[in-house]
Amino acid sequence: MSIRVNPNILPDLVASIEQAQQAAQTATQQMATGRSVNNLSDNPAAAASLVGNDALTSENDQYLTNLGDLQSKFQAADSALNTAVQLMTTAISLGTEGATGTLSASDRQVIAQQVQGLQQQMLALANTSYQGTYIFSGTDVTTQAFSPNSGSPSGVQYNGNAGVTSVDIGDGQSMQTNLSGDQIFTNANGSVFQALNDLVNSLNSGTGIDAANTEVSKAFSQLTTQRVFYGNALNQVQNSQNYLNQEQVNLSTQQNQLVGANMTQVVADESQAQTAEQAALSATAQILNLPTLLTYIK
Amino acid sequence: MGTLSSALNIAVQAMLADETALDTTSNNIANANTPGYSRQTVNFVEAPPVEYGGQLYGTGVQVSSIVSQRSGVLQLLLNQDTQQQGQYSSFLTTMQQVQTLFNETGGNGLQSSITGFFNSLQQLSEDPSNTTYRQAVITAAQNMAQNFNSISASLTSLQQNVDASVTQSVNQINALAPQIAALNSQISAAVSTGQNAGSLMDQRDQLINHLSGLVGVSEIDAGNGNITVTTTAGAPLVVGNKSFQLTTQADPTTGFQHVYSLGNDITSSIAGGALGGALQVRDSTIPSIQSSLDSLASNLENSFNAINQAGFDLNGNPGGNFFVPPPAGGAGAAAKMAVAITDPSQIAASQDGSAGDNANVNAMLAIQNQAIVNGQTPINAYSSLVFQIGNDVSTAQSEEQASQASIQQVQNQIGSISGVSINEEAANLIQYQQAYQAAAQAAAVISSLTQTAMTMFGAAPSVG
Repeated sequence: MSIRVNPNILPDLVASIEQAQQAAQTATQQMATGRSVNNLSDNPAAAASLVGNDALTSENDQYLTNLGDLQSKFQAADSALNTAVQLMTTAISLGTEGATGTLSASDRQVIAQQVQGLQQQMLALANTSYQGTYIFSGTDVTTQAFSPNSGSPSGVQYNGNAGVTSVDIGDGQSMQTNLSGDQIFTNANGSVFQALNDLVNSLNSGTGIDAANTEVSKAFSQLTTQRVFYGNALNQVQNSQNYLNQEQVNLSTQQNQLVGANMTQVVADESQAQTAEQAALSATAQILNLPTLLTYIK
Repeated sequence: MGTLSSALNIAVQAMLADETALDTTSNNIANANTPGYSRQTVNFVEAPPVEYGGQLYGTGVQVSSIVSQRSGVLQLLLNQDTQQQGQYSSFLTTMQQVQTLFNETGGNGLQSSITGFFNSLQQLSEDPSNTTYRQAVITAAQNMAQNFNSISASLTSLQQNVDASVTQSVNQINALAPQIAALNSQISAAVSTGQNAGSLMDQRDQLINHLSGLVGVSEIDAGNGNITVTTTAGAPLVVGNKSFQLTTQADPTTGFQHVYSLGNDITSSIAGGALGGALQVRDSTIPSIQSSLDSLASNLENSFNAINQAGFDLNGNPGGNFFVPPPAGGAGAAAKMAVAITDPSQIAASQDGSAGDNANVNAMLAIQNQAIVNGQTPINAYSSLVFQIGNDVSTAQSEEQASQASIQQVQNQIGSISGVSINEEAANLIQYQQAYQAAAQAAAVISSLTQTAMTMFGAAPSVG
């Protein structure tokens, strides 16, 4: 005697149709979203990695925005210092001219006035602000960096502080973003303001011009040295931008590997699921229409 | 001694037996699609012979019994699979909604608001006296807090929905138990008088299967056709013709319904079925997610508060709390997370009091990479939670599919024993039809012979 089978085959047939439909639905969803992971449960490990990946991508975007801002700020500082260097070059030529023995006192005073003009311009440069904050005031950014002070040997006084800030420019990487004004303009190894003030005074008095010129040269080279900081900072910004842009590409590739749908595969899956569904439907219709013994009883 | 009248009697008995068989066949065909119906078969036996003059004479056929074809073991397996399937299915109903709250695959889950907050600090670090950037930090912090609030609130509301389903399941269980008890008493009455209780057993199997979908149960054959039904942990539901009601009562602290049997709180011992799945989600899975969120929220809040208090705000004043301090121990922190600062200048970005110092913002930023949440960074802690939820759902989905497949297989096995085959019934129909026709023909022939015998003695034919 043969083994009796379940005469009610409908649930099996329906289940096979449902299975094919589910496969088609999954493929369609992957096609629509372009992702193979649409719910956390589709691939919990990939979804968890995606959290970290998305966070890094977003952080890097912010780093890039910050670097863009820093770049503008550094450019503003660098451009100010570039002009300052030019002013000092002019001061050196004026000083050389003033040191010529054939000049009359009134000629020297004219030159002294020109140097005073340079002093004014230098003060304005030292008080450069960027987006409402003074960039050479240390961290005391709301205070104007220098103000004229006739009682001071340099003719100015520094109102800022010696504070420096550093900013993260990548995961675990940070860079210093400023030099304090006193370090740049009233440095003990060559003070720009002191040198200019001494030059004006020596031109007016006619004594110590050569000493003042030496001082100006020293201040010039000191200023040039300080300016290198901003040049380097701009280079570092550029390097970090390049690195982060590459990193974003890597993260995006990783993300695609984690949750991206393999479109070729998905399209193949979809058409396979459709074929399977049609086969299941057609088989069901045929099986349900099979005659029974009753059909033949007359 | 064989007589014409006993022969006629035998033929008529045979016709009656065939009628019973035809009746049963017809009933099988009628119930071919009735859920839970077990096909019935007729057992024919020889009628007891009579002895006359040292000779045994057959007295024809009789129906000894009508029997339902069923397997108790398979039914038990089906119920066990149904309990599992019910549990996973009920678990998934809620957990699939839970996982959409953590919509990380769409890229707009909690991660983006946490990272957004840190990004706003990143921006502020570059220009710490910038009021627009400061305002952006507060906005991002509020956004993050609201995100924590809404996820936590949604979890609570899902938990409450599940709680409502607990009462519904208990009511359904309470409706089924008395019906099973009533069937128990009908079946034991039928069994004791030797009647066919097949249809009643079909009904009882169906009811116990429904019950299994609601809660994990144990079945014990108590004899005399009775089945004792208890929860898997032994709380009685049906004993003989008595049923025991489960009751629900709100827990005074959580407000959630607890299930009682005979005055005992059996909530924690319930497993299986829709009720088991619901209790698992309500009492274990969602609280565990909430607690992870609370831990993340409270650790973030405490870390930020400590650092903000260590710094100076834009006006050079010492900083205060950044966030409203979370409840002690952290429970409820996610739901209550709120930003304490309203004035952008109150963010203590500076460590030395000067407006342009960003050392304290940098200290806040460093939290992003500090293991402040149970040995993990905030994003890693969150990522672990996401994995946990995804894994819970994915595991339950596999289990549910497995129990579904198992149910289908057991149902096929049950069907192979109990299912009505139209072909088989049609064959029986022909067989019994022919047997009935033969018996009727035999009766006609015997009747005709009786007439012959009567005419032999001159009696007029009574018919014709």
